[in-house]
Amino acid sequence: MQVLTDIATGFIGLFNAGGKVFLSYMTGIIPLLIALITAINALVKFIGEGRVNNAMSKLTKFAILRYTLLPILAVFFFTNPMCYTAGRFLPEKYKPAYYDSCVSFLHPVTGLFPHANSAELFVFLGIANGFVKAGGQQAKLALLYALTGIVVIFIRGLVTERLSLYFFKRNGNTSILDGSLDINSLKKNDAQEA
Amino acid sequence: MAEFKSVTIKKGNHGWGGPLTVKPDKEKKYVISVTGGGIDPVAQKIADLTGAEVVDAFKNPVPKEQTFAAVIDCGGTARSGVYPKMGIPTINTIAITPAGPLAKFIKDSIFVSGVTADDIEGNTGNSAEAVPEDASRKPEESFQTRETSQSDQQRGTTNADPTLEREFSSQEKTNGKSQNANKENFFMRMIDAVGSVAGDFVNTFYQAGRDTIDTLIKNVLPFMAFVATLVGIINYSGIGKILANILSPLAGNIIGLVVLSLICALPFLSPILGPAGVIAAVVGTLIGQQIATGIVPVQLALPALFAIDSQVGADFIPVGLTLGEAQPETISSGAPAILFSRLITAPIAVLIAYAVSFLL
Repeated sequence: MQVLTDIATGFIGLFNAGGKVFLSYMTGIIPLLIALITAINALVKFIGEGRVNNAMSKLTKFAILRYTLLPILAVFFFTNPMCYTAGRFLPEKYKPAYYDSCVSFLHPVTGLFPHANSAELFVFLGIANGFVKAGGQQAKLALLYALTGIVVIFIRGLVTERLSLYFFKRNGNTSILDGSLDINSLKKNDAQEA
Repeated sequence: MAEFKSVTIKKGNHGWGGPLTVKPDKEKKYVISVTGGGIDPVAQKIADLTGAEVVDAFKNPVPKEQTFAAVIDCGGTARSGVYPKMGIPTINTIAITPAGPLAKFIKDSIFVSGVTADDIEGNTGNSAEAVPEDASRKPEESFQTRETSQSDQQRGTTNADPTLEREFSSQEKTNGKSQNANKENFFMRMIDAVGSVAGDFVNTFYQAGRDTIDTLIKNVLPFMAFVATLVGIINYSGIGKILANILSPLAGNIIGLVVLSLICALPFLSPILGPAGVIAAVVGTLIGQQIATGIVPVQLALPALFAIDSQVGADFIPVGLTLGEAQPETISSGAPAILFSRLITAPIAVLIAYAVSFLL
């Protein structure tokens, strides 16, 4: 009987431990998330999709904006997975590189702005929780994660751009390489959709 | 040319949505299989019964205008929402219910889940020609109605019941106009203007709060429950010590982290490791545990964040590029470019993060 009781105690203990962790998440993480995500959701609604689209269509010319500010705006305002739609402002040849830099920012952003990818918070939180327990400041980690993320998505955009140009050439897709994009026609399309 | 037939697809065990009736036509002649690792039997059977062509969307992307049905195996929320949003009838082989940021597009008129090959039936008659087009129009319509009801709500007061409110605000609008025309009462109009601005403000925040709680319950809490249970079991059972022995050579120093990032970036592994960030989250949580106990140096938290994440989005390339309205040729050349780029940029990212981590 003693053995069985020990086994039962251990079994319940397993999930008691899990429940305690869950409660610590509920009191430690959720309150901040609710207030922060609500505020940002409201901000995004006030600013409006049209204005963001307008701003983004002007950011496509320079590589440094294309692989930093454009994905940042897209991820912040449109969140995962609609942020990829901003790729339509770019000529075909830059779309793979834009996707790569955009998707690579989806986790660095969650430290500061969890609304942008709320389903995948634990990529950051898993490590951040341990970091805090070991005496670190979560805000500092979140900030450096986002800043380093911006540097990384820029590099990633440039490297992927070179590589995709190489693959376009190898696969004989010269029409994509030559093609430029008429932004004005896009704006017309947007207006029609709206 | 071959004559196309329609098929009816029912939801499978524990599935959701449907039944869907789809039929290809001259323009929409492809059923796409977005399942990774070849063509799914479900997609193959739909193609066989309808007489249409089945295409592996990872290898040969086709434009969405030529697609009459998409077969996916998405356990998360992204793909399950993307295709219904584009108006393509979507068949998920994994049993899920609508969730995630695109949940509002996942309707039973366009989405069916938990499907196996046995749930597909051919229709002999030609009775259901118009159904797929209807289905493809529905989500946009319902989206619009939602939009209008929202804006109505914003014009109205802070009442909780949206239907009541809509009626109320439309009445108010007509009444208000005639009154304004009759009496040129400046003071009343001022109050009106202030009231509508304040109402706008309150309602926008209210809707934002509703969206927040919605995403919290559908996306955040389930994952939290999963991670908490996992962490509890690891801590309580002592598996943590075993894991520490395995992980510390990889996560405990910068060289190990670079190696970890390279493993995650291998072009044949990264699309498998990618979906929904689950693997990254689990590995991250394990490393976090080791950081908390001091086995892994605190400073390595930042490079570790990049090391576990070099596969991010590698599973989602065709879908993500389609959302950016990329042509099929762009997708087929872009996918390998992105996968190979990761091999170069993943270790660079870890090293940059290592350099920055001295600021921690």
